[in-house]
Amino acid sequence: MHEFGMLMNGVATLAANPMALLLSLVGVALGIVIGALPGLTATMGVAILLPFTFGMDPVSGLLMISGVFFGGVYGGSVTAILLKIPGTPAAAATAMDGFELTKKGMAGVALGTATLSSFLGGMASILVLIFLAPVLAGFALEFSASESFALAVFGLSIIASISGKSVVKGLIAGFLGLLIATVGMDPMGGFPRFTGGYTELFNVPFIPVMIGLFAAAEAFKSMEDPKVRLGMAAALGRIIPPWATYKSLLGVVSRSSILGIVIGIIPGAGSDIAAYVAYNEARRFSKTPENYGKGELGGVAACEAGANGCTGGALLTMLTLGIPGDAVTAVMLGALTLQGLQPGPLLFKEHGDLVFTLFAGMIFCYVGMLVLGLGSLRFMGRILQMPKSVLTPVILALCVVGTYAINNSLFDIGIMLAAGVAGYFMQKWDFPASPVVLALIMGPMAEANFRRALSLSGGSYDFLYSRPITAVLLTVAILTMLLPLVKRWRAERAGVSGGPVKATK
Amino acid sequence: MKGYRLLTGAVVGVLATASLIAGAQAADYPTKPIELIVPYAAGGGTDLVARAYADATKKHLPQAMGVVNKTGGGGAVGLTEIMAARADGYKVGMGTVEITLLPHMGVARFSVDDFTPIARLNAEPSAITVKADAPWKTIEEFLADAKANPGKVRIGNSGTGAIWHLAAEALQNKTGLTFNHIPFDGANPAVTSLLGGHIEAVSVSPAEVSSQVAGGQLRMLAVMADERSKAFPDVPTLKEKGIDLSVATWRGIVVPKKTPAPVVETLRKASKAAAEEPAFREQLAKMNLTWAYADGPEFGAAMQKDNAFFKDLMTKLGMAK
Repeated sequence: MHEFGMLMNGVATLAANPMALLLSLVGVALGIVIGALPGLTATMGVAILLPFTFGMDPVSGLLMISGVFFGGVYGGSVTAILLKIPGTPAAAATAMDGFELTKKGMAGVALGTATLSSFLGGMASILVLIFLAPVLAGFALEFSASESFALAVFGLSIIASISGKSVVKGLIAGFLGLLIATVGMDPMGGFPRFTGGYTELFNVPFIPVMIGLFAAAEAFKSMEDPKVRLGMAAALGRIIPPWATYKSLLGVVSRSSILGIVIGIIPGAGSDIAAYVAYNEARRFSKTPENYGKGELGGVAACEAGANGCTGGALLTMLTLGIPGDAVTAVMLGALTLQGLQPGPLLFKEHGDLVFTLFAGMIFCYVGMLVLGLGSLRFMGRILQMPKSVLTPVILALCVVGTYAINNSLFDIGIMLAAGVAGYFMQKWDFPASPVVLALIMGPMAEANFRRALSLSGGSYDFLYSRPITAVLLTVAILTMLLPLVKRWRAERAGVSGGPVKATK
Repeated sequence: MKGYRLLTGAVVGVLATASLIAGAQAADYPTKPIELIVPYAAGGGTDLVARAYADATKKHLPQAMGVVNKTGGGGAVGLTEIMAARADGYKVGMGTVEITLLPHMGVARFSVDDFTPIARLNAEPSAITVKADAPWKTIEEFLADAKANPGKVRIGNSGTGAIWHLAAEALQNKTGLTFNHIPFDGANPAVTSLLGGHIEAVSVSPAEVSSQVAGGQLRMLAVMADERSKAFPDVPTLKEKGIDLSVATWRGIVVPKKTPAPVVETLRKASKAAAEEPAFREQLAKMNLTWAYADGPEFGAAMQKDNAFFKDLMTKLGMAK
C-alpha cells in the first residue's frame, strides 16, 4: 500500500495548491471545446498550450496539459452524438450509435451515458496507472512489429460488425478505405506512392477525409430536407441515465475500460483503435447485437469508456519507460523534460512525490470533467433547437476552419470537400462511412508493421505463428470474420430467417 | 527630342526614388510581425527549438516572430513554402538537415542553393546505442560482431531516407560491413523496439535515448561527431576509434535566396543575440538538445558540405533520383 500512502501525500500537496486545481479545470474545459470542434484534436490543443506552461510550476503546467488531454478525448463525443460531427477519430465510433439515439429523441441519455462512461473509463485507467504501472510497463515492450500487425488485422476484422445494414457494402467501403490508405509515402521504402506529384499527399490526409465523410456529408444531406428544424428538435429529456439502465451497461463499461487501458499501453495504438475494438466487443457480448448501429446505449458507452481508458495506458508507458504511446503523450514528454523531469525509469525514484501529486491531480481532472460535462450538456443540447438554416452553414464553416487548422493547408480543405461529396452519395446508397475511417486507421498500421516484421525476421514468415501474442490476435481476427458467416449459414440451414448479421437488407 | 529626354529623366528619377524607398524599407525592417515557418508538427523537437528562438528574439527585434507549422511530406511542404516565400524577410523558416536530403530523392522542388542561411541554432549527432544487457561493451566489439555476422545485426532508424537511416548507411559504407536497416515511424518507436530486444541497435541522437541510458537500460557505444557529447563525456567518438565519420542533424534559420542583404544582416544580428540569450540556451539544455550556434556564412558552408556528402552517399545507395 506504498502507492496509497504516496497518493494521499499527493492529495495533500495538491490541496495546498489551489492554482493548480484551477488550471486543471481550465485545461479540462479547454480540452472539451477543442475535442468537440472537428479538426482540432487533443494533440494540437496540448501542443498549442505547451509554451504557456513554461512559466508555471511543474504541477500546474502538467495538470493543465493533462486536463486538455482528457477533456479532448471526451469532448469529441458531444458533437458526434448531437450532430454526427466526430471531433476526434475515436468519436467517429461513438457517432455510429450516438447519432441514431439523437434521431430517436434520446440525445440527453446518450450524452449522459457518454459522459459517465468516459469518466469511469478514464478513472479506471488512472487507478491502473497509479497502482500497476511498474507491473504493466514490461507489456509494452513485448509488442514488436508482428504484434502491431496482428492488432491492425484484428482491427480490420471489425469492419464486418460496423457495416450496418449490408455487410457487402461495408466491405466495399472498407476496401475503398484501404485503397486510399496506400496513397502517401511508402512506409518502408521512403518513396511517394500515388501522390501525383503533390507533396501534400505524402501523408494520408486522414482527418480531412473523416470530417468530410461524417460532418460535411451530413450537412449536405440536411440541405435536402425541407424542414426548418432538425427532426429531433424535441427536448433533450433527462441527461443522467436512469440507474436501472446504466446498471446494465456496467459490464460493457468495465470490459471496454480494460480494453482501452491495454490498447493504450501498446505503443502506436491510441484511443481511435480502442473505441472501435471496444465497440466490437460490446456488440459481440451483447444479447441483442442486431440493435447495434441502430441506436444502442451500449455502443456509446463502449466507445467512450474505451477511448478514455487509453489515456492512463498511454501515460503509463510514457512515464515509466520514457516512450510516448501516441502523439499526445509525445508532446507531454516534451512538457515533462522542459520542466526538468526526465520521464523514464528514474522518474518514480527521483521525483516520486511529484509524480503522485500529478496522479492525484489527474483524478481531480477526471472528476472535474464529469462535473463540467454533465453541467454543460443541457446548454450544449440547445444546438438541436437551432434552425437548420443557421446550423448547416455553421457546421460547414466549422468543417472548413477545422480542416485548415490541422496543417494550415488549403489543399486539405479540397480533400475534405471531396470526401464530403463522396460521403453524401455513400449515405444515399447506404454505404456506411465508418469502415472507411477504420481502414484508414488500420491499413497503414497493418502494412508498415507487416513489412517491418518481415525485415526484422530476415524475410521469414515464421512470426505469423511462432509469436504467441501475434498468433492469438490473428486467430481472434479470423474468428471475428468467420463467426457471423457460420452463424448465418447455420440459421439458414435451420430454416430460420435472420441471425445476428443479415447479409442484405 | 527634349521631351524624350525629359521622359527618360522622369523614368530614371522614378526608378531611383523607388529603389531608394525599397532601400529605406529594408532599413526599417521589420515593420510588421515576422512569420517563422516550421516544417514539422507543433510539439516536436524542431517546433520547440523554433518557439524558444522566437521567444528569445523578442528583445532583439522591434517586431514579434510568430511560429506557423506547415507539416507534410517529411518536411518538404514547409521547406517548399519557405523557398517560395516573398523574399522580404517577413517569412523566415526553420531549416533542417532535410534541405540537404530531400532534393536528392526527387521529392522536393528546392535545392540547398535556394536558401540563404541566417544562423544554425542546434545540432545533434548520430549515436550507436545498444541494450544495456547486450554482449557488446565497446564499439569495436559491436563492429567485429557485425563483421562476423553480415546482415544479422539490425539497426533501427527513424524512417528510410531520414537522417538516422543515412547515418547507419554511412557507417556501413565507411566500414564495409552489412547491417539490416529497420525503418520505424520516427525515433521513439525505434527506441521502444530496442528496449524490447527486437532489434540490436539504434542510430538515433543521444537526446532521443538519454533517459533510458541514464536509467541503465541502454548503453551508448559511440557518437558520430567530431567531439564527445557534453551530456555523455564517457562515450567515444567514431573518429577516436579510427573511423572518420560525423553525421548530424541540425536546425537553423533560413530565408529565401533573394532576400535583400540589409534584411539578412538584421536577421543575422538578431539571431546571434537571441541564440546567445541565457534563457534560450537553458531551454535547449532542458530538452537535452545541443546548442550549436553558427553564423550565416559558417552555417552555409556546413550545409554545402552536408549536401555534397549526402548526394554522394545516396547515389551510392541507389536512392538518389
